[in-house]
Amino acid sequence: MTMKTTRDVKGVGLSIPRPDGPEKVLGRVQYVADLPRRGLLHAKLLRSPHAHARIVKIDTSKAKALPGVRAVLTAADIPELKKKAPTRAHAVLAIDRVVFAGQPVAAVAADEPAIAEEALDLIEVQYEVLPVSVDPLLSMQPGAPAVADAGTEADTREALAHSAVAVAKSDAPPPKAVNVSQQSKFQKGDVAKGFAESDLVLENTYRVPMVHQGYLEPHAVLAEWDSTGQLTLWASTQGSFNTRSEVADVLEIPENRIRVVPVECGGGFGGKIRALCEPITAVLSRVTGRPVRYVMTRREELQAGMPAPQVIIRLKTGVKRDGTLMALEAETILDSGAFSGTVLTVSAVFLGSMYRWPAFDIRGIEVLTHKPSVAAYRAPVAPQTIFAIESQMEQIARTLGLDSVEFRLRHLIQEGDPMVNGHPWQSNGAREVLERIGAHPLWKTRKEWVRSNGKNGSVRRGVGFALGGWLGGLQPTSATVRLNPDGSLSVLTGQVDIAGTNIALAQIAASAYGLDLDKVRITTGDTDVAPVTGLSAGSKTVYTVGTAVLQAAQDARRQTLDIAAKELEAAAEDLEIEDGRVVVRGVPDRGVTLASIGKKGNLYMSKVSPVLGVSRPAFSQQAPGFAAQLARLEVDTDTGEVVLRDFVVVQDVGKAINPLGVEGQMQGGAVQSLGMALSEGLIYDELGRLTNPSLLDYRKLTAADLPNIETIIVEKPSPSGPFGARGVGEPPIIPAPAAIANAIHDATGVRITECPISPERIALAFAAKPTA
Amino acid sequence: MPKSVLSCTVNDEAVEVLVRPYDTLLDSLREDLGLTGPKEGCGTGDCGACTVHLDGKPVASCLMLAMQARGRKVLTIEGLGRWDLLHPLQEAFVRLGVAQCGFCIPGVLMAAAAVLAENPHPTEEEIRYGIAGNLCRCTGYTKMLTAITEVAAATDAGGSRR
Repeated sequence: MTMKTTRDVKGVGLSIPRPDGPEKVLGRVQYVADLPRRGLLHAKLLRSPHAHARIVKIDTSKAKALPGVRAVLTAADIPELKKKAPTRAHAVLAIDRVVFAGQPVAAVAADEPAIAEEALDLIEVQYEVLPVSVDPLLSMQPGAPAVADAGTEADTREALAHSAVAVAKSDAPPPKAVNVSQQSKFQKGDVAKGFAESDLVLENTYRVPMVHQGYLEPHAVLAEWDSTGQLTLWASTQGSFNTRSEVADVLEIPENRIRVVPVECGGGFGGKIRALCEPITAVLSRVTGRPVRYVMTRREELQAGMPAPQVIIRLKTGVKRDGTLMALEAETILDSGAFSGTVLTVSAVFLGSMYRWPAFDIRGIEVLTHKPSVAAYRAPVAPQTIFAIESQMEQIARTLGLDSVEFRLRHLIQEGDPMVNGHPWQSNGAREVLERIGAHPLWKTRKEWVRSNGKNGSVRRGVGFALGGWLGGLQPTSATVRLNPDGSLSVLTGQVDIAGTNIALAQIAASAYGLDLDKVRITTGDTDVAPVTGLSAGSKTVYTVGTAVLQAAQDARRQTLDIAAKELEAAAEDLEIEDGRVVVRGVPDRGVTLASIGKKGNLYMSKVSPVLGVSRPAFSQQAPGFAAQLARLEVDTDTGEVVLRDFVVVQDVGKAINPLGVEGQMQGGAVQSLGMALSEGLIYDELGRLTNPSLLDYRKLTAADLPNIETIIVEKPSPSGPFGARGVGEPPIIPAPAAIANAIHDATGVRITECPISPERIALAFAAKPTA
Repeated sequence: MPKSVLSCTVNDEAVEVLVRPYDTLLDSLREDLGLTGPKEGCGTGDCGACTVHLDGKPVASCLMLAMQARGRKVLTIEGLGRWDLLHPLQEAFVRLGVAQCGFCIPGVLMAAAAVLAENPHPTEEEIRYGIAGNLCRCTGYTKMLTAITEVAAATDAGGSRR
């Protein structure tokens, strides 16, 4: 998109601190848990201790008798609930069977949180414990205990909404085994022949456990009905319109009877896309006639949030001695927990489409288990997939004695190459990103770094990198831009700002209209007032909403110039906006102020229309974003301890609308990626109970575990994004598990194929390594 | 359960509030005094979002009973700086765009302020360990380190701002 404005450098491309900074450092930003409300009740949920059980009987009488308790509900009290819940949101309270430990079976609203908690202890539930399917590989087998009720359909909304990753025509057979809920299959060429003609065939199985998105603010919602039957939800959500639709669907309420107010979201990362506790909180408010707030505890978040799926990838590759790619065969198994809803095809796309494999056979299987159902986590399934393919590519290069960067560059896809689903790759910066890794001093000096190995006792040094990508999400959206009577601009969207996108959108509006940034104010409206928009997910806010804001600002600019043209008796093409005035080009003293145009649009008896720029784009072209990460580290082979010395993120963002914000995304994403690589994992026992439901036992990385994260921004403009921008949020969470595994292999000669790559795993693997 | 009077100093003002025996200091600050800057991220002292100063030392206010603050001095994020006079750490956090979702930021700032109060010129490692009890999921900590390091560098040996 070519932009012609008088001052497009004034907004776009500048590192401008987020305008919400002062409120945040003063502790004055209010999250859902901070909102005051007169007459507020507090909700708590009673959750099943069993992963699979029949509910024989629930007795709530003692709980109801407790002073201060205003409502105690079970599924029997909510007529809208359906037995075959198609999604987790529909399973508001378990009806007759619980399918994961932590599933809500009863709800309480009380005057104080402590009273609500006491009431939970007084609810008597009689369970008949049933056999469980916990391990996805066992759950796939015929005869495994069934998770879903027969006839429940696969839920592909997440895939559709989140990533638009080619929910591809994959000619998969219908699921057969009882707990297999989705399948995909992509094939090309003769794989058997490819392997037969290969000189090096490698086969590995890569495993990544369920991990939690780890947002610091637990799920929270405040619900209130008024006497006319209007429901307001103050929610911590990544998409207020999506929340409205889901709640309307579950509770059978018309959408325009629900207003969702997106309150400042204390982190989401995919975990706050889907409705979770909104429906039950709304019902408690309806029953009590009072505002009700529900805030999940951290224990509940870890036990019964919506984590990322467990991923098991069996990967077999065949190559010629000179590195020619011959064949790839893979099977990705995603443990979706108790409800269907993973983004299954992402794995196939990145296993088979990053490098040019002449023959492939890639299967995907979504399996249900008696564990909490999953949701997106920042580039869902991409880090786990890249862990497999980039570990494998490194092994091939090393085994054949090829340069790791050159080997990848030789086979890397280019624009126009087909992906496994047949769709062509769009313009992307994969090559540029990889070249920057190859040219980085830490890569060029890797031999010097490793040379000291064996001289420091048990400490070994290594360097490793990996490349990863994301196709970029798409969703229709809309935005308006108004000119105010003082000549300032108001931008309105419904887009939740979870990543500093509002400042970037304001920068886009300023550049496109031709006004200084401090004259632009952007607001995220609630679902009653804002133009409709999609999720803040899929790395698509700047790409899609940025386009809407750009076009709405251009529309407002056109209207402004048309009004000025009449006043100045000049052609609109000869006008420009400078310093808050519309002037005739080359005749700076012939002009009219934006304020006067704005005023006339809001003046009694005025014949001048108000300036209201509108855009409501839909999209068909994705803009893939690639990132590579390089790790330089030390490993103590006795203890398995890893000390990360340096970490570099190189990312193609198309155009950094706000480099400061882009760096923040790259650094934060990198550390989440490193957490998945090194320390995180939800650990379940054989009965499907979480064994580490606290932040002491679920280890997120701290400031003391990390070096500074170096960021290198690459700008290869996307043909379709605003000012060439691509999605930024997701690519940086992708490469680290593979980069760390590759660096540890470089240091120790040990190849770890299971995350987290914990000290225990490293030390055991090193001890088991055959000595040369 | 009967309530008792808690008398203490919060952000340089003497306060008296009625608290239940089981109320945590965090509960009392948030619910009775309306100071919602300290956040509850875990309730078990693992995330640091509720960090306040008690007699100048950083504590997890979710792990203390409110009555344990009797007669003592509590400082919350609301008392660290004012909107028209930010604390140097707050100013640096704004300028460098540290805060993203912002939920951890009040706790991080209180932990960082405690680090600098104890030692105006900490090493990088001392800063990292000083805020290691504060989890952040958005930033990767790098910009926090830059901000705290800049503030320390701008402080002279006697502890006052240059």
